[in-house]
Amino acid sequence: MPRDKRRFLHVIVAQVVLVALSLVFALPFIWMLSTSLKVPDHIQSDSVDPIPKAWFLPRHGRLVRVRPLGIKHGQLVVQWRGGAEKGQTVPIAPRRLLSRPYLDWRNYAEGFQEFPFLRYLGNTLVICALSVLGTVLSCSLVAYGLACVPWKGRETLFWVMLSTMMIPGQVTMIPLFILFRHLGWINTILPLVVPTFFGNAFFIFLLRQFYRGIPVSLLEAARVDGAGDLRIWARIVAPLSKPALLMVALFTFINSWNDFLNPLIYLLNDRKYTLSIGLTMFQGQYNTEWGPLMAMSLVMALPIIVLFFLTQKTFIQGVKLSGVKG
Amino acid sequence: MTDDDPGTVNMARNARLRRWPVGLAFSLPLVIGLLMFTAYPVGMSLYYSLCSYPIFSPPRLIGLANYQELLRDPRFWLSLWNTFYYALAAVPLGMVAGLLLALLLNLKVKGLAFYRTLFFLPTVVPLVASCVLWNQILNPQQGLINEGLRFLGLPAAWTPGWLTSETWSKPALILMSLWGCGGGMVLYLAALQDVPQELYEAAALDGARAWHRLWYVTLPMISPVLLFTGIMGLIGAVQVFAQAFIMTGGGPAESTLFYSLKLFDTAFTEFRLGYASAMAWVMFVFILLATLAVMKLSNRFVYYHT
Repeated sequence: MPRDKRRFLHVIVAQVVLVALSLVFALPFIWMLSTSLKVPDHIQSDSVDPIPKAWFLPRHGRLVRVRPLGIKHGQLVVQWRGGAEKGQTVPIAPRRLLSRPYLDWRNYAEGFQEFPFLRYLGNTLVICALSVLGTVLSCSLVAYGLACVPWKGRETLFWVMLSTMMIPGQVTMIPLFILFRHLGWINTILPLVVPTFFGNAFFIFLLRQFYRGIPVSLLEAARVDGAGDLRIWARIVAPLSKPALLMVALFTFINSWNDFLNPLIYLLNDRKYTLSIGLTMFQGQYNTEWGPLMAMSLVMALPIIVLFFLTQKTFIQGVKLSGVKG
Repeated sequence: MTDDDPGTVNMARNARLRRWPVGLAFSLPLVIGLLMFTAYPVGMSLYYSLCSYPIFSPPRLIGLANYQELLRDPRFWLSLWNTFYYALAAVPLGMVAGLLLALLLNLKVKGLAFYRTLFFLPTVVPLVASCVLWNQILNPQQGLINEGLRFLGLPAAWTPGWLTSETWSKPALILMSLWGCGGGMVLYLAALQDVPQELYEAAALDGARAWHRLWYVTLPMISPVLLFTGIMGLIGAVQVFAQAFIMTGGGPAESTLFYSLKLFDTAFTEFRLGYASAMAWVMFVFILLATLAVMKLSNRFVYYHT
């Protein structure tokens, strides 16, 4: 049938377009990875070649890696990077050099030497862990108060909370900075962590929706059995809402891992930096050396990318939920 | 006893009233948080915006002088223009790109999960890491984009200077933002999959062409999601900060001096907290008005199915 044929054609065209688009979307990732594994002089000379390469010279029937040092009397001086003469230099005719695939981990070694990754990672993880704890705890308590306890005023509180989501962070930024300065909290993680223990409008909204789906009879039965609200929250509501709480934890973790503005304002000492501030400063010092920069960006992005792949279902579900309230 | 028995209603009401201490106790973190981290700073910010407040001496009321100075400040207008340029290009283009991707994926192609993951992946990369990455990608000499353009045969003289050029710096950041259009795509795809098939069948019976089906069926049915992503995208885009702070520092020739960057500089390098607070309030009022306007406009264009 012609209509089926046309539909088949459409799908083929779509498939071709999608493959091309995939390449466009993936290229920056591929480029980041390959640049991070390239020998420095290959980054400059051949930046689009996705396969990292290095220079080699035939020696006794084997290819030995060399590093070009410069031109002298019309000859190229290279240094042996392997074999028996490692470290020695030799002049050669430039065309004898061969370019062959080679992964160079030097950028990572150099990056880790100049960039105190482990310390920044530790700082970041402490902030992430406390933020996750604070957000999950406070949001689930508040959501219980708004969804499972009938009381006058909870609707008002809920709408006030939702309307505060319109306020841009720039408005509260300066008074909060002054408040935290009075408290002596500048250059500590407290301004980044303490507010998370006081709820987050969006996550409370999300959890409230979830808690309202829990059968009231279940809560009533527990109440008849003499359980107090705290007990009902801890023993029934929280365990039943594990997927939603995990989603809140996941998004809080990623938000604090990626946060840039708050650490920039409050963490002034380079011993306190998080990964995002550390990487920014590292770029300031290293902006001409792409290899180590790409290596360290990759190292910072990798945990989040891995986390995304591990939790993909929850993750996409959460993104969709964030769009539902519109 | 039935539900409308006055006795039951009264008892229920009494129970409700007696339960308020419990409800409030659970909501206490939120109440304290709203007072301490929202109401108090919002009020103080309004007060500071009426003050001269160089950080090391206490605020002194000066009336509307900060707002008057803003009107005369050429860098304020420049930052406003830069921000509008960026937001009004990046948001619609990102929405169109995300929608096109979603429409493609909605054709029931093979490997949907793979493509969706790949297109979404850039939005997962930490912003700082993608700024560092794109700083190199956009490098006029050895960056991926210009090398690619030259590879495709574009003369070297024609390749844009991207972040080093006054004309191309904003388009460069817009291009970078398009890499993240997969976030919208996930939402659009979910909305597309919820459009009832009968509507398409009915439209096809009426002889509607593909273009008409898109315009008269698909777009109206997903218009609430389009509205939502439009508003959220706009609110996010007028606050654009990290890209300029990390990649350009506002340059070249202040062509990427965005509103938030100027606000940050005013507050934390010039330490003019009153002036910066006035800037924050202008932004707040603008966001409120823009959202209201979009909502108002949307009454005509947005179709709510339920």
